Amino acid sequence: MKQFTFEAKQKTFLWAVMGLGLLCLLLSYVFEPEQIAAAGFHSRFWSNILHNAVFFTGIAFMITFVMAAFTTAYAGWYVVFKRLWEAFSLFLIPGLIMMVIIGLAVYAHLSHLYHWADTEAVAADKVLTGKSSFLNKNWYLFGTIIIVGGWIFFAKKFRELSLAEDRSGHEVANFAFQRKARFFAAIFLPIAAFTGPAMIWQWIMSVDAHWYSTLFAWYSMSSWWLAGCALTIMLLIYLKTKGSLTEVTKEHLHDLGKFMFAFTIFWTYCWFSQYMLIWYSNVGEETTYFFERIHEYPVLFYGNLVINFVLPFLILMRNTTKRRYGTLFFTSALVFIGHWFDYFYMVKPGILNTAEEAMAHGQEGGGHTAEHAASFVSGFTIPGILEIGVLLGFTAFFIYFVFSKLEKATLIPQNDPYLEESLHHEVQAYE
Amino acid sequence: MKGQHKEVLFGLYNDEIVLMSAITKARKQHLDIMDVYSPFPIHGLDTVMGLEESRLHIAGFIFGMIGTLTALIGISWIFGGSLMFEGDWPTIFGGKPYWSLPAFVPIIFEMTVLFCAIGMTVVFYIICGLGFGVDNPILDERITDDKFCIAFQTNGMGQSDIDHLNGFFKKSGAEEVHTRTI
Repeated sequence: MKQFTFEAKQKTFLWAVMGLGLLCLLLSYVFEPEQIAAAGFHSRFWSNILHNAVFFTGIAFMITFVMAAFTTAYAGWYVVFKRLWEAFSLFLIPGLIMMVIIGLAVYAHLSHLYHWADTEAVAADKVLTGKSSFLNKNWYLFGTIIIVGGWIFFAKKFRELSLAEDRSGHEVANFAFQRKARFFAAIFLPIAAFTGPAMIWQWIMSVDAHWYSTLFAWYSMSSWWLAGCALTIMLLIYLKTKGSLTEVTKEHLHDLGKFMFAFTIFWTYCWFSQYMLIWYSNVGEETTYFFERIHEYPVLFYGNLVINFVLPFLILMRNTTKRRYGTLFFTSALVFIGHWFDYFYMVKPGILNTAEEAMAHGQEGGGHTAEHAASFVSGFTIPGILEIGVLLGFTAFFIYFVFSKLEKATLIPQNDPYLEESLHHEVQAYE
Repeated sequence: MKGQHKEVLFGLYNDEIVLMSAITKARKQHLDIMDVYSPFPIHGLDTVMGLEESRLHIAGFIFGMIGTLTALIGISWIFGGSLMFEGDWPTIFGGKPYWSLPAFVPIIFEMTVLFCAIGMTVVFYIICGLGFGVDNPILDERITDDKFCIAFQTNGMGQSDIDHLNGFFKKSGAEEVHTRTI
């Protein structure tokens, strides 16, 4: 029976990084961009929380989703690191707490994150009035609680069944728990497929309250999965170098690398489809979204494509790069940061607009033609040092949570009927 | 090499595990295996036989690139405005410039996939000697059903070499040994 031990040294380090992250978060409360601070808003602070909370909650959600998909597909190869993914999926619990904090802030009008949360602006705006049956504070707060609560129910169920299987003590492979897990996974998949986009529309897409895109959910959900996959690879390689998960071989990592490669292309496909349809149809309400991003946020717009498509695509194309720990770790780090950057690109420009429109609203009383005063806004135009600090802090929190959950069960699910298959997993690649 | 007949000495095995160990032994004795036949794909057979990585994907890459260029140059030739083309039939769609790359990407992508897929299929058929009107002799009908086979080419071999191969088959557990000219 192999057990993972969360060493005191690791804990101290992670606590220190979490402290750094919290410090950076608080500093971003103080060092707001001038024009926003002048209006008494704290958009940088709130957008940092929203950005990272959604990013890490989404990773947990997508890992749960992929686990459910693997379970229904009778997949066996991933069983050796299943415990890690179970620990990932349980992060939905702190994720819900973070989202409820944001939801309460929206409810109490503390944050100025969403244009639709401004009741006066909505009353004066036909488009927002039309959307108000979905984009309102009740849906935001209670919808989040109900839907993420539902996801937690399934994540806990999978974990429970897996642990019960572990304790069952059968020598012979027992499929009873697998059948139950498959039953719940099959229910979870359609629910997740409909509720995931609903939450993305609420949390992320509605920062640009007038804009919408039907492809947005695909694009941002594949972004979550890629970030989760990259984080899985990095943690597996770390655990292997620590000597605690030696059963994971480069065969498993090769397959995870393939997933990362394939979904990099899928992500680009979604990104490009969204861009091209909006560009081609040339509807004014939609094109402003890209016009603004290309001209005012060129680093975010083009950088996003370079980090998330060009580099991983070229690096991961060859067989051998997916089988060497060094290159795979490097690419995973790139992809992880790249998709955090992608979420930065989705969240920040919209929130800056909301803040500027709210300021103009305060001054002119109902105006919608806020001028973009400054070309560079710290913490919005590109990720600043504080944003990077916040990312490190949240990552440390995520890893701390994952490791503390990993410690609570056997590292390898010893009674899983697919364990043997996973231990002998081989992709038979030529090196 | 058309018209030249191959003299083949082949042994039939009943079990793929015996077959695998026989291949390992043959490679240790530096016997030059012509080919191995099996009714189904055997995991790890390539490694045991010491086969090199297929170069089919290089052909795929080249065909894909040809597709990309065909699409890009074709579109540029028709619509013009870039890549030194004046435009054979410049057309305005939705107020966009003649040469507007985002609109071309889906076509370029599809042409890449089409050229790559067809090119790879054709190359694969040629390498494997398959295709219309090509007659491939089968050493023994049972290797498509329940027998596993190791074949040696014996053109120009002396009797002592053939005896050596026969001895190898006997030792490595072959059920039957036959010769055939194909």
